[in-house]
Amino acid sequence: MKVTFPHLGSMHIFCKAIAETAGIPYILPPETSRKTLTLGVLHSNESICLPFKIILGNFIEALQMGADTIVMVGSGPPCRLGLYDLVQKVILEDMGLHYRWLTIPPRLSWKAIWKNHEETKELRKELSAKNILFFPYGLWMGWKKMMACETLEQLAMKVRPMEIKKGETQKRLKKALSWVDEAKTSSALEEALRKGKALLQEMEQDHSRIPFRVAIVGELYTVMDPYINRGVEQKLGELGVEVTRTSWFSTHILRSLRRNKADRASERVRFFEASKAYLGYDVGAECNISIGEAIVRSQEGYDGVVHLMPFACMPETTASGILTKVGKDRNIPILTVILDEQEIEGRIQTLLEAFVEMLEWKRRAA
Amino acid sequence: MEEKGCIGIPRALMFYRYSPLWRAFFEGLGWRVMVSEGVRQKEKIIYFEDSCLPMKLLVTHAVQLKDQVDHLFIPRLVSIHRTYIMCPKFRGAPDIVRLATEGNVSIIDETVDLRKGGIPLLRSFLKMGEKLGASRRESRRAFREAETSFSKFQKDWVDRINRVPTRQLFEMDVPTPQTKNYTQKVPPPLAPARRTSSLAGGGGEAFRFSSSLGGNPTAGVCKDEKPPLRIAFVGHPYNLFDIDINKDLLALAKSLGMEIMTSDLLSEKEIDREVSGLSKEIYWSSGREIVGSLFHFLSGGVDGVVFLTSFKCGIDALLQEFIKRRLKVRGGSSIPLLILSFDEHTGREGLTTRLEAFRDVVEERKNSKSEAPACA
Repeated sequence: MKVTFPHLGSMHIFCKAIAETAGIPYILPPETSRKTLTLGVLHSNESICLPFKIILGNFIEALQMGADTIVMVGSGPPCRLGLYDLVQKVILEDMGLHYRWLTIPPRLSWKAIWKNHEETKELRKELSAKNILFFPYGLWMGWKKMMACETLEQLAMKVRPMEIKKGETQKRLKKALSWVDEAKTSSALEEALRKGKALLQEMEQDHSRIPFRVAIVGELYTVMDPYINRGVEQKLGELGVEVTRTSWFSTHILRSLRRNKADRASERVRFFEASKAYLGYDVGAECNISIGEAIVRSQEGYDGVVHLMPFACMPETTASGILTKVGKDRNIPILTVILDEQEIEGRIQTLLEAFVEMLEWKRRAA
Repeated sequence: MEEKGCIGIPRALMFYRYSPLWRAFFEGLGWRVMVSEGVRQKEKIIYFEDSCLPMKLLVTHAVQLKDQVDHLFIPRLVSIHRTYIMCPKFRGAPDIVRLATEGNVSIIDETVDLRKGGIPLLRSFLKMGEKLGASRRESRRAFREAETSFSKFQKDWVDRINRVPTRQLFEMDVPTPQTKNYTQKVPPPLAPARRTSSLAGGGGEAFRFSSSLGGNPTAGVCKDEKPPLRIAFVGHPYNLFDIDINKDLLALAKSLGMEIMTSDLLSEKEIDREVSGLSKEIYWSSGREIVGSLFHFLSGGVDGVVFLTSFKCGIDALLQEFIKRRLKVRGGSSIPLLILSFDEHTGREGLTTRLEAFRDVVEERKNSKSEAPACA
């Protein structure tokens, strides 16, 4: 058995940690590249959203490398994400690739646990007692690594606009993340995190700058994965913007575990309430949160909002229509960036530069 | 009863399934109902958001109506089935329209969610009645009457599709011609066609197109000489019946000697049978209907299948891939399948060519089958 999973931001670091700690063999799909995307586009319909194509590309590449078991998060209605597996399974079957599929239930319920139990029946036979015994420890280790990655990324978002040598933060962040990735034990992980934090903080910084504050909102896959959004977070940071986002793995995991007491989850409740000024119903996925967050950020005095969505995304299309209006009503610049498979890195750079320039005018006028 | 005011219903989205019910309800409460005209020219479409064509048409129709009516009726259709849901865009539709009309008009946006217990549809309508100042008793009565007339309307629906021009399908006062008249006296549709042309104030080019088809004796001739081709048209109701989306494809099909069949012919059980064994349940009611009926029709009983979809429709894009792949994996189907995708740039000429070619394929297959059944 060789397990594989799709790429999404720094997810591979902690998925790997789970598999490694529990001693389960795995294959890490090659980093998402033009080739991954081409494979995904080739084997799907043009109007399917970008995450579908990239995840499909990841799976194809991993299966070709010898993986045989796909682990994928499930989701529910009303967005298309909930039916990705239905369609991807048929596509892989049609391509003649062999696989087994394991869905991580989107919500913890008895029905989901039962389904999971059925799905893993075969798989468990291949696992040794050691694998099963160490699995909870693996999960714990994965969680720790995930939190470490998030801490580092958040710190990077803070220091990036202050960097004196352009691109330095990104270099240091990469190094710090690789330390986290390499850590095998809990104490080594703590050491890696401490060192990583120090590495970022010790960077040469210009503290006289007053960075713009911009919130990134939108569909979670495009917000969280730097390959898909062509590094919007990094690009904005290097233009002198302190970026905030509320879409993190921990937010979404806690949300699906119904642990809404955590700070970030309650923040989502606040966003949802704010969105009611424009939307009379929960449209699904991140739509209401995107709108609500834009409203809340405008009240908090943020300079702007960047809204990311894949082309033809159903809930975010509704959000983008409403966000145009929110921007006008609340006098906050909102930039919607629609992402698809086209090579648009240069265009995004230009868009962001123009956006930041506009923020500068606005600040000067005030 | 004295008239209380005017309610505008945009001729878009689920108008193409439920308008008889909605209209009867509001009229039963003593309101005048105004339905928007067609859009016809793509220059008139309002691009408020970057959505699928049906959604853009909803906004366009609503803006057309906003100054002429007291209330706009845009229900928030969350679910129109007791288990399954609608596309998420329907949930935000009233809000989008509210922003597009700049809040100038009152919008009746009652949520319809049939997954809830009790009689949720009645409850939604009672709330709408309440908003319009009707008592519960009045609303209840109007709803019951509307329901009765709606089920009567649905009864001869499939005959109606084949015998009434697309534009008039949802006009309750246009009767469905009886079968006998239809086959014996050759082209009957001319008379009723002319009548609404004056009603609709010269319904425009597309309408003349269909009425000239009514005068075209092909349909009658076909009946005599050879049986019509039985073609199943599958898709969201608005893709099927909105001539602003499909350029009156149905009239074109009729003129090519096709008998139109839709998923309305199938019972829920027949559809469920096709989609129940899937690894994951399709949770959109329209998606289920489309996938189920496509598989049903492709397994036999018809000569050809046409799947109509709008560009950027999320549900169709995903399920279309699923349908194609699954058919391939299961060894394909001998019944020809044509997939037509519409957007505002779709022209009638291109559609005509494709449909004619499709007709030839279907006919060829049918002829070769009747000559040498072994080939098929």
